Amino acid sequence: MSENNHEHMHEHSESELSAELAAKKAARPQIERNNTHWLTLEHYNNDPEFMKKAETEFQSSPLRESESEGGWARREFLKLMGASLAMSAAGCIRRPVQKIVPYNKQPEEVTLGVANYYASTYFDGNEGLGVLVKTREGRPIKIEGNPKFPMNKGGLSVRAQSSILSLYDPERLQGPKHNIFNEKRSNKDTVSIKWDGLDDKVVAQLKKGGAVVLTGNVASPSTRAVISDFAQAFKADHVSWEPLANEEIREGQRASYGEAVVPQYRFDKAKMIVSIDADFLGTWLNPTTFGAQFAAGRRDPKKLSKLVSFDSTYSLTGGNADIRVKIKPSQQLDVVMGLINVLVVNKNLSAYANNEKFKDSLVSYANTAQKLGIEPALFTKVATDLWENKGQSLVVAGGLQTLTSRSAELQIAVNFLNSLLENEGKTVDGKNGNPGLKASYAELEKLIKEMNAGKVKTLIIHRVNPMYALPKEAGFAEALKKVDMVVYTGDRIDETGEHATYLAPDNHPLETWGDAEFAKDIFAIQQPAIRPLYDTRSFQLSLMTWAYLANVGPKRLITFETFYDYLRNFWKEEIQPKAAKGKAFEDFWAEVLQNGYVGDLDHSTAARSFKSEAFAAIKPASNRSGFELALYPTVQHGDGSSANNSWQQELPDPVTKIVWDNYVCVSIATAEKYHLKQSTVVELKVGDKKVELPVHIQPGLHDDVLAVAVGYGRTRAGRVADGVGQNMFEFASFAGGPVFAGQEASFTKTTKKYNLASVAGNNSMEGRMIVAEATLKDYMKNEHAGVHRHKTWSIWSGHQYNGHKWGMSVDLNTCTGCSACMTACQSENNISVVGKTYVLQGREMHWMRVDRYYVGNPADALAVFQPVMCQHCDNAPCETVCPVLATVHSDEGLNEMVYNRCVGTRYCANNCPYKVRRFNWFNYAKLIEKPMHMALNPDVTVRPRGVMEKCSFCVQRIKEAKNKAKLEDRKLKDGDVKTACQIACPTQAIIFGDLNDPESQVAKIFKDEPRSYALLEEWHAAPSVRYLSKIRNNDKETPAAEKGGH
Amino acid sequence: MHRVFRTFAAVGLLALSLAGCKFQPGWGYNQGYAPEQPLPFSHEIHVTKNQMQCQYCHNQVERSKHSSIPALSTCMNCHLQVKTDSPFIQKLREAYDKGGSIEWVRVHMLPDHVQFNHSAHIAKGVNCQTCHGEVEKMAKITQVQDLSMGWCVNCHRQPENKAPLNCTTCHH
Repeated sequence: MSENNHEHMHEHSESELSAELAAKKAARPQIERNNTHWLTLEHYNNDPEFMKKAETEFQSSPLRESESEGGWARREFLKLMGASLAMSAAGCIRRPVQKIVPYNKQPEEVTLGVANYYASTYFDGNEGLGVLVKTREGRPIKIEGNPKFPMNKGGLSVRAQSSILSLYDPERLQGPKHNIFNEKRSNKDTVSIKWDGLDDKVVAQLKKGGAVVLTGNVASPSTRAVISDFAQAFKADHVSWEPLANEEIREGQRASYGEAVVPQYRFDKAKMIVSIDADFLGTWLNPTTFGAQFAAGRRDPKKLSKLVSFDSTYSLTGGNADIRVKIKPSQQLDVVMGLINVLVVNKNLSAYANNEKFKDSLVSYANTAQKLGIEPALFTKVATDLWENKGQSLVVAGGLQTLTSRSAELQIAVNFLNSLLENEGKTVDGKNGNPGLKASYAELEKLIKEMNAGKVKTLIIHRVNPMYALPKEAGFAEALKKVDMVVYTGDRIDETGEHATYLAPDNHPLETWGDAEFAKDIFAIQQPAIRPLYDTRSFQLSLMTWAYLANVGPKRLITFETFYDYLRNFWKEEIQPKAAKGKAFEDFWAEVLQNGYVGDLDHSTAARSFKSEAFAAIKPASNRSGFELALYPTVQHGDGSSANNSWQQELPDPVTKIVWDNYVCVSIATAEKYHLKQSTVVELKVGDKKVELPVHIQPGLHDDVLAVAVGYGRTRAGRVADGVGQNMFEFASFAGGPVFAGQEASFTKTTKKYNLASVAGNNSMEGRMIVAEATLKDYMKNEHAGVHRHKTWSIWSGHQYNGHKWGMSVDLNTCTGCSACMTACQSENNISVVGKTYVLQGREMHWMRVDRYYVGNPADALAVFQPVMCQHCDNAPCETVCPVLATVHSDEGLNEMVYNRCVGTRYCANNCPYKVRRFNWFNYAKLIEKPMHMALNPDVTVRPRGVMEKCSFCVQRIKEAKNKAKLEDRKLKDGDVKTACQIACPTQAIIFGDLNDPESQVAKIFKDEPRSYALLEEWHAAPSVRYLSKIRNNDKETPAAEKGGH
Repeated sequence: MHRVFRTFAAVGLLALSLAGCKFQPGWGYNQGYAPEQPLPFSHEIHVTKNQMQCQYCHNQVERSKHSSIPALSTCMNCHLQVKTDSPFIQKLREAYDKGGSIEWVRVHMLPDHVQFNHSAHIAKGVNCQTCHGEVEKMAKITQVQDLSMGWCVNCHRQPENKAPLNCTTCHH
């Protein structure tokens, strides 16, 4: 062979050589590719450009950048070069002098270098979570879930974790301000004032009467008490409004059962769940708690629950569905009524089966399956599955996506169906919901009328931003001009703050005392973890101060000097008698501070009876054609109130994987029909409202839906959020109740193009299958279904692990793709934000990513989510190529990355089959502005430019736990070490531990779990991470020909 | 052309800047560093003469990665009575009464990418003197060891110490 080669070398022409090269290439072992799961449409279509991009390890290189594009980068480089020259000139002088400034008096609870955790709560207007605030040397550095809290049970949401950044936001107001307006209130001058001055002015004004307090949902019982005391003192009104109000649910409950409540939904008790556009795993009510409850039914595939989602946007809930049916907003009611029709008319079930009049009212809904374009058998199966799980099923609809003009009917229909299925009182608990969810658009509308009538003299606005989140047609801006004095407690001069006479900035939730009641009789405490950074004052204390200065109101309002005293007294008098009768208050209080809460989610509850007359409100089905608008909140931003947060902005949307923008989602067929490409700009029109937005082609979307996220398009939020995307709250119609979905919409194509930064495909496995999935039927026959096993052999002799050997397992069946782990990792490991420009170049820094794969026919694609972090391979390909030994193997199985050795060759990233290594192209850390640096974790090195970084299995946590065990003179036990992603995961899909400890949870999974598999097993990198295959409960069986994925 | 010139200039500058330094082992380390402190605190007087335990002042060293400098209140435990006529003690007292502090100059410094844990070493029975020298005889704190990586690893490599030698032992 070699002889032949020699000859060839001399004799053959170039063209023959290349032909031979091609032949050799063809003879190479083929990479097993499988295109059943795909990341993007380009991937699905094997688009040559995409495939080329996927093959290149680094999408961009400084050398390839043109001068104009890389101008900033080069300038920065030269500047840094100058700095390093200056430093080397001073090289022989000693290092810069550092000072140590000891405490004056050592605080008893502070040990330098050891973290303290404070139990507290987080509330974003809808979702309530029990949290632990991790503080170091007296400053909060991370927010974790409170594992004892009966609702989220240790899991946490993206926004709750990101809220640490908002504490250190450099653009927060640092003290009270006064806006001096001209006569027309069109121009102003902002000046700083003292609290005393503000108080005098406000009190004088309050004495004139006509005061209104406008707040969001108030989950805090003691704050509710302060507000009602204050209202009593000044004869003021209290109005609750929230952009994501749950009014439709409350009104539906009132019509159906007589009481306007938001029920407590129990997904943990439901075996069959049908969601009609209620994104309960992403954005609806308590997604973290619901996620934890949902996972309870997904953990054991033998007792798998079933989730059917009728989805008008591609929501996270739709992405987790066993069966997902695309609908348009106007079909939501059809779905519920269709299900009722199948049960009562087709199957003659329930007491209504003999009620001819009732049956007649369903006639127009008889052909729902055809209308939805699905098999009637499938639709019937959904209905009968519900019936067979009577009392253990759950039908939910709600949220922005369901606020069509028929949302009231939809809610009544859903309540009827739940009552019919005997879920009422079991999976729908009407007695024990969050009593604080009172926000109402109707009340706000009334308030606007009163403002216009000049009845409102003073308006105090707390924790809501109506000037941003209300459409112009609501008339809030004009009404606001008729109010003599507007006091705003927001933390910045934002869209509403601009129009406020006085800004009385509230403390950040991490700086102030408070409490919460997220479900009836679960009382939680909110503890401050740091003294207020600036001259701010809590909203409650402001109200108390004003009442005190005017000397009006109930005694408790004007007696206490601080809100803390008020709160303690409130707990003593109101809460302790309910929650812990007979206990000494000090003991009770200490216990509450320790645990963070008191109470339990499980209460006895009784089924309420459905008022049959309510059903008469439901009118016959209507048919619509043409495009319908569907607005939806995102997992990252919710209502957009916390949008000035770079972690949130750079978190890829869990489904579309796009960062830093909102866009119009259109279906593939619509895109083809109108010749739209990804990133084409269209002008979207609803009535006379217009906006230009880029197009995102979304698989699995209904052809008539144009879906756009709200929460973007802030104008006065700060440098991070301003000008990112477009404000879609503007497109809500307001007359006669809020309508966010199902409005007639149209668009015109423009010639413009706007680049959307998507991370999907940035780390493509080039078609090598790394997700394993099977249907439940497959699984019941063969527990290894969907997992392709390989015989492997190695030329390496292998490592010896005599002590610990760390390993992780990730359950794809319980992972919902919520991406809380990514934010946890970012917070724990000081991961830089790079901005949209660099994400476009594939330079995002997240150490772990959550891949979203679409499965099946693009028009009806299902989704699978897979978190991928460094796999800590035993035969790590990265380790063998590092020329400077900057990435090496530890004797505990960790693949270590040594930043101070790394010279930035990037060979390791090139050789990593899982694409989990991230390169620091710039000194991103230098851009961290004060006081943002206070959020950095002091246990993790802040990486400079030019080094590679990646998941370390939270080695600092491993070390901390080991050290703690050593100091306590005991062995490390399973559960002592928890990684940041594991702690944050609401569904406990991630488990970490010692593989050398046969009793550890993770070792058992590695050994015994038939669903477990390693990524790219055939390459025998021998990863320390195992994934558990996804099992889909869809009554299907994979045909034998298609079996044998990976 | 322009670029070539710039490169030459940079190299030249670099060479110039290094010319004054000694290229020898220990270059860049702080061995022998003994800066002036705001108060002439003497370990010799406190430890040798008055027989105080290290942990009386450095009381968190057994549970923390830091062997922190004591709070002023710790000093005042004694110095409310002891040596109150000394101008230095008066300065200390003044800072204490005002709620202020003393800005000590840090002597033992490790680079930012090194994570050192005092408590782990104390638990293993390593003496303070192993790393810090004979502190009890120092009137003014001086850095005795070079605290270089080679020096750390030397000790970690001794089989009898059973110390871990992974990179992440110190770097993460």
